Amino acid sequence: MFKKTLGWIDERFPLTVIVKHELTEYPVPKNLTYWWSFGFLAIFILGVQLVSGIFLAMHYKPDALLAFDSIQHIMRNVNYGWLIRYLHSTGASAFFAVIFIHIARTLYYGSYRRPRELMWWTGLVLLLLMMTTAFMGYLLPWGQTSYWGAQVITSLFGTTPFYGEDIVRWLRGGYVVGDATLTRFFALHYLLPFIIIAGVVIHVVALHWVKGSNPSGITLTAGDNIPFHPYFTIKDLFGLGVFLIVFCSFVFFGPEFFIESANNIPADPLHTPQHIVPEWYFLPFYTILRSIPDALGGVIAMIMSLLVFAALPWLDRSSVPGGALYRPGYRILVYLFFIDVLVLGYVGTQPPEGVSMVVGRVATFVYFGLFLLLPIVSSGEDRRSRRAGLPSAAERLIREEQEELLRSQHNQRREGDKMPEKRKRSHLRGHK
Amino acid sequence: MVRLWVWLAVVMVILNSHSAVADNDGIALKKVDFDTTITARQRGAETVVGVCLMCHSLKYVKFGDLAGIGMSPEKIQSLLTDQQFADPLLSLTPLAVRKESFGTEPPDLSLMVVARKRGPQYIYTLLTSFYIDETGRTNNYLFPGVKMPDMLGYSLTAEGSAERAQVEAQIRDAVSFLMWAADPNADERREMGVYVIVYLIVLTILLYLMKRRAWRRVR
Ligand code: HEC
Repeated sequence: MFKKTLGWIDERFPLTVIVKHELTEYPVPKNLTYWWSFGFLAIFILGVQLVSGIFLAMHYKPDALLAFDSIQHIMRNVNYGWLIRYLHSTGASAFFAVIFIHIARTLYYGSYRRPRELMWWTGLVLLLLMMTTAFMGYLLPWGQTSYWGAQVITSLFGTTPFYGEDIVRWLRGGYVVGDATLTRFFALHYLLPFIIIAGVVIHVVALHWVKGSNPSGITLTAGDNIPFHPYFTIKDLFGLGVFLIVFCSFVFFGPEFFIESANNIPADPLHTPQHIVPEWYFLPFYTILRSIPDALGGVIAMIMSLLVFAALPWLDRSSVPGGALYRPGYRILVYLFFIDVLVLGYVGTQPPEGVSMVVGRVATFVYFGLFLLLPIVSSGEDRRSRRAGLPSAAERLIREEQEELLRSQHNQRREGDKMPEKRKRSHLRGHK
Repeated sequence: MVRLWVWLAVVMVILNSHSAVADNDGIALKKVDFDTTITARQRGAETVVGVCLMCHSLKYVKFGDLAGIGMSPEKIQSLLTDQQFADPLLSLTPLAVRKESFGTEPPDLSLMVVARKRGPQYIYTLLTSFYIDETGRTNNYLFPGVKMPDMLGYSLTAEGSAERAQVEAQIRDAVSFLMWAADPNADERREMGVYVIVYLIVLTILLYLMKRRAWRRVR
């Protein structure tokens, strides 16, 4: 029965071929570490957010007068409403945590370089979409932090020269954040995840075209690739298990951790809370915003702090494979960057005065400075490796891969048609 | 292994910096443990309905919900004035009167425990910080100039006296009730969480063994 149905479908739609080609037999470098599991985890949480979000929307009321109460209705009266809501609120943080690690891995191993620039850029667009979605979703509980957070962030657009006020009014649907803002944010918060899914499809199609990177940074030959199933299905499932243990610990034992206490007070346009701290995943960018003395300058710096990532494929002038693994100079930059982002994040939690203001400014300077240093450091590394050769480990790996490639091409010639069509692109793109 | 510890340390620092923000600035909150048994919660419910409800409401909690802390229908009945089981715990004093007498609207207490940083400690400290100043007026150390009167008479009791201990116990119970009111499903959630985590740990161990087996073939 199953076979017959499948046969019927296969005659009309390449189901088996797609599953085989893109999933079960999709070749994956066998030397991947667990840092490569986070892309899959991100897709998993996207699913959790989508499903829990749809169920929340069935009970939530996007109305300034009803929104806050409807959340309590979900928490108290809806069957397992508390579980759905805590999955969703904790899921937002988990999503960012996983994506940040995913990005950190890409940075560390320099995976944004040729031929994966489009993956890097689609990934960056996905991050921006995710941030927008999270920001809009955060307004929906209609608590004090929700309200004033939206008020502050939308007012940033007011720094736009000439049209500032008009843009802010257009975004809010009024002079202040109000019912109109809430309903439009709800509409967009429901829409954007589907656009994110489309973005993820493009991201994954690009991945399957260029194939995944691996810690060595050297494109491995067919012999060093293994099929996705069963090796990576089971590896990713184990990773998922570990992730779920951490995730569920928060959902069941500390869900309030991610809910700012002021957000349990209904939005009140007449009372500004003392200090508004954004969600943790916005903190580094928030610090950059605050560190520039000029309002417009701060907004530009904050936007640039994200957009500058798009330039990485050009800023990194080295063709030494393996990112930080074989590049000591780059490794220092990457670690400094990670530490700097943590410092920026910490400063974001502190009131903007005294020492923390100074530290924030220094960290902002370092943040952009590292991007500017990258072309110099990387072209230096490139020159040195051209003179002195690659690190011996990389050399050895490339030699091995080359030999194996020769062998396999040799075999291919001998056995002729019987060999499956090997991919002609890719192969050894390590060192020019 | 060393790396793992470094990563764990980083995570701990991040989590800590989060809770560092969550700390109350200003006067230190008293550290107290709250009794989360149903008897304590029931005693607390009586105080809250009998005293706090004069001014405050708990609009998200219904009288019928008190069955959730093990109250019998008769007991709940005894708390009712002229409300029904399905009615929320609303103050019987008209809003206008409350606003008029205090110059502000007493906030709803259903979510008070989660609406303040370290809520339970905060409420306990607030209610045990009333004192009588030189001019003979009641004031509050934690919330100077608070518009709420010292309803339980904490400031009238002498330091270390049996009466004071009694008032403190009463406040502790009221807070345990408010903790329940803010999140009535918390007990169920934690109980379920234990099963979920145990299940996940077993599952993950099995997945790890399967992974090891599958990967043995890979050199
Ligand atoms: C006589 C009226 C009255 C009674 C009875 C009363 N309160 Fe209040 N309460 C107030 C008023 C008024 C405020 C607002 C205080 C302000 O904002 O200055 C308040 C505020 C509070 C706050 C919030 C403080 C803050 O941080 O904003 C808490 C917590 C609180 N009350 C707890 C209680 C508890 C628990 C009880 C019962 C034991 C109680 N109240 C009984 C009048 C009352």
